[in-house]
Amino acid sequence: MSVRLLQICAYALVLTALLPRRGEAASPPPALYTRSQALQGASAFEWKCASCHGHHLQGGVGPALEGPIFASAKSDFTIQQVYEFLSVEMPAYAPGSLTRTQYLDITAFLLRQNGYPAGVRALTDRIASHCTVPLLYRPAAKASPKVVKSKALAGKPLIVPRVNAP
Amino acid sequence: MTRFQAFLPRRSLWRIALSAVLLAPAAGAFAAGYPVVTNARLLHAASDNGWLMFLRDYTGDSYAPFRQINTRNVSGLKPAWDYKIGMKQGFEGSPIVNGRYLFVTTPKDHLIAFDAVTGKVLWKYQKSLAGVGLKTVCCDVVNRGVALYGNNVYMATLDNYVVALNAQTGKVVWQKQIKPADVGYAMTLAPLTLEGMVIVGTSGGEYGARDFVVALDARTGREIWRQYTVPSPGQPGSDTWPKGEIYQHGGGSAWLTGTYDPSSDTLFWGGGNPGPWLAKLRPGKNLFTDSLQAFNPRTGQRKWYYQYTPHDSWDYDGVNTPMITSLTYHGRRYQAIVHADRNGWLYVIDRRTHKLIYAVPFAHAISLAGFRDGLPYTDDAVRPAVGKQIFTCPSFLGGKNWWPASVDPATHMVYVPTIHTCMTMKGAPTFYKPGLPYLGETFKVVHDPNDSNWGALQAFDLDTGKRAWNHETRLPWDAGAMSTAGGLVFSGTPQGHLLALDARTGQVLWRSPKLSSGIIAPPVTYRVDGRQYVAILAGWGGATPIWGGDMVKSVANIPVGGHLYVYSLN
Repeated sequence: MSVRLLQICAYALVLTALLPRRGEAASPPPALYTRSQALQGASAFEWKCASCHGHHLQGGVGPALEGPIFASAKSDFTIQQVYEFLSVEMPAYAPGSLTRTQYLDITAFLLRQNGYPAGVRALTDRIASHCTVPLLYRPAAKASPKVVKSKALAGKPLIVPRVNAP
Repeated sequence: MTRFQAFLPRRSLWRIALSAVLLAPAAGAFAAGYPVVTNARLLHAASDNGWLMFLRDYTGDSYAPFRQINTRNVSGLKPAWDYKIGMKQGFEGSPIVNGRYLFVTTPKDHLIAFDAVTGKVLWKYQKSLAGVGLKTVCCDVVNRGVALYGNNVYMATLDNYVVALNAQTGKVVWQKQIKPADVGYAMTLAPLTLEGMVIVGTSGGEYGARDFVVALDARTGREIWRQYTVPSPGQPGSDTWPKGEIYQHGGGSAWLTGTYDPSSDTLFWGGGNPGPWLAKLRPGKNLFTDSLQAFNPRTGQRKWYYQYTPHDSWDYDGVNTPMITSLTYHGRRYQAIVHADRNGWLYVIDRRTHKLIYAVPFAHAISLAGFRDGLPYTDDAVRPAVGKQIFTCPSFLGGKNWWPASVDPATHMVYVPTIHTCMTMKGAPTFYKPGLPYLGETFKVVHDPNDSNWGALQAFDLDTGKRAWNHETRLPWDAGAMSTAGGLVFSGTPQGHLLALDARTGQVLWRSPKLSSGIIAPPVTYRVDGRQYVAILAGWGGATPIWGGDMVKSVANIPVGGHLYVYSLN
């Protein structure tokens, strides 16, 4: 399972590098987490993170974690960097105090809110800590995140749930 | 824009004069004249009727020689005016007052000018932060106030601009960005104006910045000098860092306003914590982090330094105000720097010899274990490492955080806002990435086992180094202190009360009604037409609710929202 998702992540990375960038994210986003993870992540975020980052990730005393300023080519964050940072140093009042599952769920929630689609396979620590796909805001995908069917994954290195408008 | 602002004169002298006459009724009793802020006025700001700079004058002592409000009548303080600002982030600004102009800054770099007597809004300015992610701002999106010079008012911003505005109109005169936003650097401090320069320092010790102090021409914004707090290879102090590129992310943030000693023409400015936090990644003393730095203000050249915490691994910073005063200790008179450090020690340093006169702990202090030959040494047993969790005191929030202390030349006391915290801390993997924190440690603030309270306002007799009084509080003491010739110390509480305490005894003589939010800002005082006022911004936020660990629970239900309150006697 992890190997498959790593392949997806790697393939998305190649596409990101090859495709011309129009707007924030022209390459197709990989499906790296499940809808269930994102829902659990939304709950954990509200409980552990929203007091600083806002109930809608819009920012408050901490930075916004959604949108074209946070997840931009200029920021140049990868999914790996964001996951590794937040799972070690967040929340600021008690870094590292959440469970591994909670950190993965929150990462899934951040991906969903920045336009990455849900898939059928869960985000794991191994995937999140190796996935060097750039984190780029994808507003069109965010508006209607599409869950990728497991059948579509079979035999293909990458599933393209939705290609964004520029 | 108010109607008054819309008609404010802008260009020629005759228009200024004519407008002042014609529009005076529209502005109530307020005349449009703005007293020019000269070098001479800044040098004598201590006796000015206004509050001309962040900590009142170049000594940084936050002491005003006003006695109209005093120990006998302070119980009669009444609201003079107030203004609801709103916004849900922390208000850490000092109101700055010149003549009848009073300036306050808000979170996210708004600036409001008031009539200091009536509270009428004269103009508002909002720095555009469009496109700024505020990703490298550690401790709330605060601003601590403005500086004044000539006819201008100066603000430092979260996206690293220094903005000069016309004090009467709010029109931008110039603005200059000293570093890009969101890549490690930010500014939250009140600038310091000195001899025609605007001097600021950068924040960023948590984000892999290499911080600096920079002086700009107050008239044009042209950069005059820039001095990094972490030396590059070959510069003095560079041998206290490992070889390689780590110095480029070595921190040493300069995030609080410095002080100035005209007698030696020396600018004092603190250097903050080194980066990353985990000291094992950067062997050496790591100069000039956690250090008092003495600069030539004309060139930025470093004259001397004193490092408060060598090779810091606890985020003890070093930027708390170096206050300038004189004192008598063991029968000898000293020209001194007084500094209450995050590491829990009160330092008294000789400005002439640059040596320690004495140091006493004002909070539970373990990491900084003591002094040999006037220099501090640390307890290696409480140095965290990857796989090694330690317990030490104070926490990284310090025995005292940024809140200004105050030195009262009449009582010879220093009034120190204090928090009683300790922490667990452990090394953690880290990597440098612009826009993300660069720490290498995990941590949690916990109670001081020796003190069941989170906070205190303490007074120390500077002539003996002994504690004179101690006002303990269940909640953290999270606001600045200000003392006056009326025998009073003013400060605020998280519950939203402005207090006036007897400067000699610590007895609470007056407590304001509960304000709309908690107080984390310093109070100021000023006089207009013979009447003394006390002003304070309420607006809970800042570092405590973000980083406070077990302390967060104690302050979780404090209402937020900015509000300026001004008091006077009837």
